[in-house]
Amino acid sequence: MKNEAAFIYSPEQLYYKFSDEHPFNQKRLLLTNDLLMEINALNKQMIFPARKATDEELLLIHDKDFIDAVKKASDGYQPSSYTTTFGIGTEDTPIFPKMHDAAAWLVGGTLSAVDLIFEHGYKHTLNLGGGLHHGFRGKASGFCIYNDSSIAIEYMRRKYKARVLYVDTDAHHGDGVQWAFYNDPNVCTLSLHESGRFLFPGTGNVNERGHGEGNGYSFNVPLEAFTEDESFLESYETTFREIVEYFQPDIILTQNGVDAHCYDPLTHLCGTMSIYQQIPKLAHELAHKYCEGRWIAVGGGGYDIWRVVPRAWSLIWLEMTGQTDLLENPIPKEWLKKWEKESPVPLPKTWFDNKDIYQKIPRKGEINIKNERTVIKALKPIYETLT
Amino acid sequence: MIIKDIMVRDVIVTSPSSTISDALQKMERNRIRHLPVVNDNKEIVGIISDRDLRDASPSIFDKKSEGHLDLPIEKIMITDVLTAFAGDFVEDAANTMTENQISCLPIEDNGKIIGIITETDLLYTLVKLTGADLPSSRLEVEVENKSGMLSNVAQIIKEHNINIHSALVYPATNISKKILVFRVQAMDIRPLTQAIISSGYRVLWPSNLEMNI
Repeated sequence: MKNEAAFIYSPEQLYYKFSDEHPFNQKRLLLTNDLLMEINALNKQMIFPARKATDEELLLIHDKDFIDAVKKASDGYQPSSYTTTFGIGTEDTPIFPKMHDAAAWLVGGTLSAVDLIFEHGYKHTLNLGGGLHHGFRGKASGFCIYNDSSIAIEYMRRKYKARVLYVDTDAHHGDGVQWAFYNDPNVCTLSLHESGRFLFPGTGNVNERGHGEGNGYSFNVPLEAFTEDESFLESYETTFREIVEYFQPDIILTQNGVDAHCYDPLTHLCGTMSIYQQIPKLAHELAHKYCEGRWIAVGGGGYDIWRVVPRAWSLIWLEMTGQTDLLENPIPKEWLKKWEKESPVPLPKTWFDNKDIYQKIPRKGEINIKNERTVIKALKPIYETLT
Repeated sequence: MIIKDIMVRDVIVTSPSSTISDALQKMERNRIRHLPVVNDNKEIVGIISDRDLRDASPSIFDKKSEGHLDLPIEKIMITDVLTAFAGDFVEDAANTMTENQISCLPIEDNGKIIGIITETDLLYTLVKLTGADLPSSRLEVEVENKSGMLSNVAQIIKEHNINIHSALVYPATNISKKILVFRVQAMDIRPLTQAIISSGYRVLWPSNLEMNI
């Protein structure tokens, strides 16, 4: 029987590297792949190469001026005006050699994920190199140059006329994708994130609902800082189920940033590994229920590359391929042995975290109530059409 | 920031001879709570609020009464209207509104109406002033209440090559301190935060550093 799921990876995806100290570190792709290989959940036959997106494909979303500037910067040309005009050369998104090619390879991976579904009959595809949701039409932002998800969505709109539901569980608001389709009623975006009052990029307020014809197709759930598993998952499940039923998509694209974990150094949410088991599980269920299985998953943020990302991203693939029984075993000794010398922190030996990995949150009750109210507010347009 | 930058220009108005019932409908349809009353030359001659109109409507306890719904607006409108000018500072207008306990100000030019501002517009302005409408991170620092503090902290931000999107300075509860709130255009502000702490300032947000994880 043919496999339902395809895993996308090419070594070129590792070239997306700003500097040795930069928090966005694609070594997490190697760590994840290696963990999956070690438990025999992934083999070479399941891996499909990414490709480099063409200029025409990048132009589906991005401005020509911006693409030209990224290309010139890749060759070392970097006037200071690039910082303000195009958002490159900043402390967040510094210029590095071949940055255009590296960014185009990440986009191409997500485009391969699309083609494997629509052209080759796969049901689910995973491109952990993608998920760069802060990229704007004409500007880089928050570690992201080209926005692979926006490009892939526009590509699916034009080539396959698909109605796309985009679900973003990165701790940061999925602003680039939201604004790209803010006026489009055929693309629905849902982003759950730490409230912009506390965290970059500041947007993602519950009243950002879309504009013009797109009004009512943009959903945001800004969560309180220090939100824990239970409240995070309740918010996720309620909004995802209501929105997929309301929107009736042809395909679901999930952005799987894993920086809502309490270990993540950039954010202030308090998730543990169990949210990263439940997030793909629900996406998988709903893709089968509403979209004949069509589900693309991409990566995203995740800055604790040792303790969080490899386990969390492996969980997506295990869910996608129905291999979650492997979670009964501990993290393999071989993997731990191979990487522990490099890791600045002790590596976790189990798939799931103990509750005591963070201090007790004093305002827990208040945080949960606020999140419940936010969810109700976010879903108001749907509840109103039902009554 | 001046009134001209934030005022609503398409003002919904009524005339002195319109009936109370017309005015009520107009407010409900447009979801507004105030109607400036203008004459044929667009000169402001009065204003009415939804409260004035409700007072003139029949009581729900008195089914027989028709109230005064057919009376013209000029019978009940307030005629000593407080207004502001397009060039006034936003904070002065806000002050006028707070002092007189009113929630809207028509904007006039030589007696003619050219705009209006309400509490809602002022609150929206506050959101914009705090800068949360462009990709940016929040940074909150407590400093001594003395000259040069804003400049010192801004200098550290500059050294990190980070653009400031907005800055607010306000007194802390403790009068010997001030609070600086910045929205800065950067996603990873840890190096900046560390530098500010090393320079001896207290960073109030981000505060996850205290969690020790």
